[in-house]
Amino acid sequence: MKGRLLGIVITAGMLAAAYAFWRSADAPGSIASKEETRTRGGQLVGSIRAVPRSFNRLVAREQTAELLSLLTQGRLVRINRSTFELEPWLAEKWDTSPDGRTFTLHLRPGVTWSDGQPFTAADVLFTLQAIYDPKTESVVTEQLTIGGKPIAAAAPDDHTVVLTYPAPSGPGLRLFDALVILPKHKLEAALKEGTFGSAWNSATPPADIVGTGPFTLREYVPGQRLVLDRNPRYWRKGADGAQLPYLDRIVLQVVPDQDAELLRLQAGDIDMTQSELRPDDYVAAKRAESQGKLKLVELGVGPDADAFWFDLKPEAWKKDPRFAFVSRREFRQAISHAVDREAFAENVFLGAAVPIWGPITPGNKIWFSPNVLRYPHDVNKAKELLKGIGLEDRNGNGVVEDAQGNEARFTVITQRGIGWYERGTNELRTQLARAGIALEIAPIDNGALIKRMLSSDYEAIYYRPLTTDLDPAANMDFWLSSGSGHFWNLPDDESPARKAPAPRAPATPDWQARIDMLMTEQAATVDLEKRKQIFNEVQKTFAENLPVLYFVAPRLYYAHNARVLGVAPSVQRPPALWNADAIAVRH
Amino acid sequence: MQTRSQSGIDESKSEAMLRFLVRRLLFAVLLVIAVSSGALLLTRVAPGDVTANLGAFAPPDEVARTRARFDLDRSPVAQWGGWALRASRFDFGDSFLYNRPVGALIRSAAVNTAILAVAALALATLVGIPLGILTGSRSGVLPAAVRGVSLVCLSVPPLLTSLFLVFLASRTGWLPPGGMTSVDAIDASWSAWMLDVARHLPLPALALALPLAATFERLQAQAMSETIQQPFVVAAMARGVGWRQLLVDHAWRASLRSMCAIYGLAIGALLSGSFIVEYVTAWPGLGRLMYEALRARDIYLIAGCAAMGGVFLAFGSVIADLLLFAADPRVREGHAA
Amino acid sequence: MKRAGRGLLVAIVLIAVAAPWLAPNPPDRQFTTYLYAPPTRVHVEAAQGTYFHPLRVVSRLERRFEEERDRHVRLVWFDGRLVASADGNDPLLLLGADSYGRDIFSRLLYGARTSLGLAVLATLAAMIIGACVGGLAGYAGGLVDETLSRLSDFVLVLPAIYVVLALRSVMPLVLSPRDVFLLLVGIFGLIGWPIVARGVRGIVASEREREYIAAGRALGASPVRLLAVHLLPATRGYLATQATLLLPAFILAEATLSYVGLGFPDAVPTWGTMLHDASNVALLGDAPWTLAPAAAIFVVVLAVNLVVQGSGESPLLR
Repeated sequence: MKGRLLGIVITAGMLAAAYAFWRSADAPGSIASKEETRTRGGQLVGSIRAVPRSFNRLVAREQTAELLSLLTQGRLVRINRSTFELEPWLAEKWDTSPDGRTFTLHLRPGVTWSDGQPFTAADVLFTLQAIYDPKTESVVTEQLTIGGKPIAAAAPDDHTVVLTYPAPSGPGLRLFDALVILPKHKLEAALKEGTFGSAWNSATPPADIVGTGPFTLREYVPGQRLVLDRNPRYWRKGADGAQLPYLDRIVLQVVPDQDAELLRLQAGDIDMTQSELRPDDYVAAKRAESQGKLKLVELGVGPDADAFWFDLKPEAWKKDPRFAFVSRREFRQAISHAVDREAFAENVFLGAAVPIWGPITPGNKIWFSPNVLRYPHDVNKAKELLKGIGLEDRNGNGVVEDAQGNEARFTVITQRGIGWYERGTNELRTQLARAGIALEIAPIDNGALIKRMLSSDYEAIYYRPLTTDLDPAANMDFWLSSGSGHFWNLPDDESPARKAPAPRAPATPDWQARIDMLMTEQAATVDLEKRKQIFNEVQKTFAENLPVLYFVAPRLYYAHNARVLGVAPSVQRPPALWNADAIAVRH
Repeated sequence: MQTRSQSGIDESKSEAMLRFLVRRLLFAVLLVIAVSSGALLLTRVAPGDVTANLGAFAPPDEVARTRARFDLDRSPVAQWGGWALRASRFDFGDSFLYNRPVGALIRSAAVNTAILAVAALALATLVGIPLGILTGSRSGVLPAAVRGVSLVCLSVPPLLTSLFLVFLASRTGWLPPGGMTSVDAIDASWSAWMLDVARHLPLPALALALPLAATFERLQAQAMSETIQQPFVVAAMARGVGWRQLLVDHAWRASLRSMCAIYGLAIGALLSGSFIVEYVTAWPGLGRLMYEALRARDIYLIAGCAAMGGVFLAFGSVIADLLLFAADPRVREGHAA
Repeated sequence: MKRAGRGLLVAIVLIAVAAPWLAPNPPDRQFTTYLYAPPTRVHVEAAQGTYFHPLRVVSRLERRFEEERDRHVRLVWFDGRLVASADGNDPLLLLGADSYGRDIFSRLLYGARTSLGLAVLATLAAMIIGACVGGLAGYAGGLVDETLSRLSDFVLVLPAIYVVLALRSVMPLVLSPRDVFLLLVGIFGLIGWPIVARGVRGIVASEREREYIAAGRALGASPVRLLAVHLLPATRGYLATQATLLLPAFILAEATLSYVGLGFPDAVPTWGTMLHDASNVALLGDAPWTLAPAAAIFVVVLAVNLVVQGSGESPLLR
């Protein structure tokens, strides 16, 4: 009996000692200061969340495929994700015709593929041919289609490409940031056979993946990691004239779990992740920064924000009398007034968020308009607006209802398992209850959510649809009533809007028709200032009618190992490796 | 006279051995077939299939192609038949998740799990058995203290030990907090790879081994204390045999019988425990692979993992039976086991 | 030690039953100002009684809180709950709050109900199925015995967690908590019955040969009566031991399932889902109180081990 007790005491003692030890392991380390010179050599370890399903960026949309294409492939022009400026890349310079429809690109001389073959205009033509081939089912075709017509390309010589747009396009050459140029000599056969869509899938031997990017794929251990080595034939040179990239090797470890990622980042096992920190993880990263292990970077305000919208498709509600007031803009305006955005930021994002009133956030520096109509937090005004459309709490149960007794009670679906969705919906429910609107939250899994969203089988959704491009012309499917991304009122026709954009259903409200017209105009306008003016109008109209409600946009934080230098952080993913050729490590 | 009876005994021994092995092999084959077929049919019958991974935006012909690729458009029986036929040629189909043949994936994952299981078993044996002999054969403060520590370790399941150890590793940096190899080991030679794995091995092996070692210790102690009271031990003591020799030569051997029975159960416990340890410490073994496969409904990968699991199980029980055979002369003689 | 173990088990059961009274807060109430709050420091003073200072947020992102020294919130005793805060907005958080601002201590207590309740029901299911199958096999003998024994041997050989995992994964991922509860009871019952059946079969088979059974048969008693009144009650002792062993195994199985996301949804307080919340190991150093469910599981398993120690069995070897 005594001995047993002793045994338990010994165990407890060992645990206490261990706890004291690791508490003390918090010794602050040295903190790197000032700008260090970047030297060649060294290896960087990054983590990715999922295995790549394909190495062909033209058919695969997911983040890992995008990351790999940034590392191994090149584009004609590049949008700098830090400054949002268009930079020459494989195209060294270009001339624009006066009507803005023809671009003559002069390709950079002396560029070779990683296997030594010369890079020529034939590769550009080949790539365009591939994406316009319907058998490829490419994911970038829609972006490079203007008014339903493809962009014509011609190559007068090996180093010149002439692109002719079928109609004036606002984004212009910026569209080509999405088009990675793939090697003709490697993939021509596949295109001829019609198997381009499945070429370069994850079972392809790495040696076959040829590109003009700073790294080449050396090894892929399925489910575990990807190894990329420096491409000795990379064309780019750094500001100091040094041959890029600095790194000898990049290893991407597959770590499916975000918690495990953070753990390994802290332990120094990996140098960086490909996504921003969750607000809950901030404190751990801050602690690691004070110990000199990590560098914490504020990326800025994120370009995407959580959205809350009701299904505004009349057919979806059938005879439901609640649609009579849901379809009124005053209802949605009341909600916007009822929400205390500061409290929302505090409770949902732990304070790391800024209030917004429209889909464009301050993180989208070029296109954000601060003059969009704002709805100050005013619960009484909300109640007034609701009363104005006939909604009052007549029976004293805290929920407003119309004259026929139909209560303003709705079910909101959201994706389960995401902390800020669950906190956000809960906060929304608490706040809207003060104005008399009752919400019931139903978290469901992502696949089911998307299915119901696409089939208009819901009352309200709280979700964050991600945009890949900050230019609104690239998100036409969201703004146009005929668009496949016009989530709150999807067109009946399921196929993606490859046809010319035009107002769709006869029941399109005036303001939506106005937005359709304005968006079409700005997409065809070449002058950026004019485009911004038009788009500000769009934002204004959107904010007045509030088909979708936005409350806060998160401020994004990112952490990487302190030994990594030269990171140019971006609010888009991947935050650091988009600029991998300029990154170096201390070694 | 003597030679004849001896050869008679030898004959029956080898006969028994042969019969035993054949029975065991049959059992193993049946087990593997049953487990993998069961898994295959279960996945097939359940709602949802692998095409859920294509996402809600997937074009219908891609969905149809994927279904055909995994024989989901045929009836369950037909699918099983086709799979069984191919499996007999060691072709276990493809995995959707990794876009690779299942066989290759299973092989490497099984090796990793085997490394972990063997390490954990070895650790548990080396620590648990001697301690059990110690505590079972004498009394006093030290054995009682060991018993107490054992009780505590017994009560901490692998889920908790692995969480705790990962946390400890991440705070102190003594050991890598997870994974099987570090990235530095990519171009390295065989010996460097072994060293790297050896660095990553202690964490998950310890997580698995601790409760197992405690169990071994408890059982060995109990078996030991029972055996010591047996008449033949008392007799040997009276004959003047030394204490240590008594322990090892006489008492321990006799106590092995119940230990071997437990070893068989321990294999099963290792396999079960290894799942959660692999999950928490990101050890790329069979458990983790099976979990991913189940989440994604990757049907042929599930069947392959189940088959491999069955192989491990059968192997484990054969080993346990062999141990019993070797340890217990009564079994060897062909008497009732 | 056996008594200590039994006492511990009884205490845990009592705590679980009395959870609504013992818990200072409702388990699903989200105190939005108290996200990630540390445990409340309670002061006891002769003049003021029991009270604490409410917390004010300094930096939510960095999880830094400050006590408002000038405000005192009294603790109310025996008013519907054992103890609670007098102010509805500043709760008593004995083990701090989680990422949604919910009281961890209350969730632990309510979680005991769900986890223990699930384990108890599953154990009962396993026992009933096992007793019936084992009794049948032991009494009937012959082919019936042979088949049933083979079947239970087959299930026994399989590693439990994989079977549970497989059976759970093939069901729809998102189910209501009630559906998850029933499903888990079913799955655990299916996994647990062979071990019970084996022992019951053995006992029934040996008891069957006894004189009193022969006498009963001679007097015309039906097999069912013999089983129900005489044979199965003989297995009482065995069943009791098995129940004690199955209980922690099922608690662990629920914890494992919920930890990997296949158990209860996060909103439901069970020891498993709370462990899942604590799975972000990187943050444990700042908030070690989130490991409370691990300690709870440990205590239950320890109690069981104390009770069965020396019998050569272990709940972990299931």
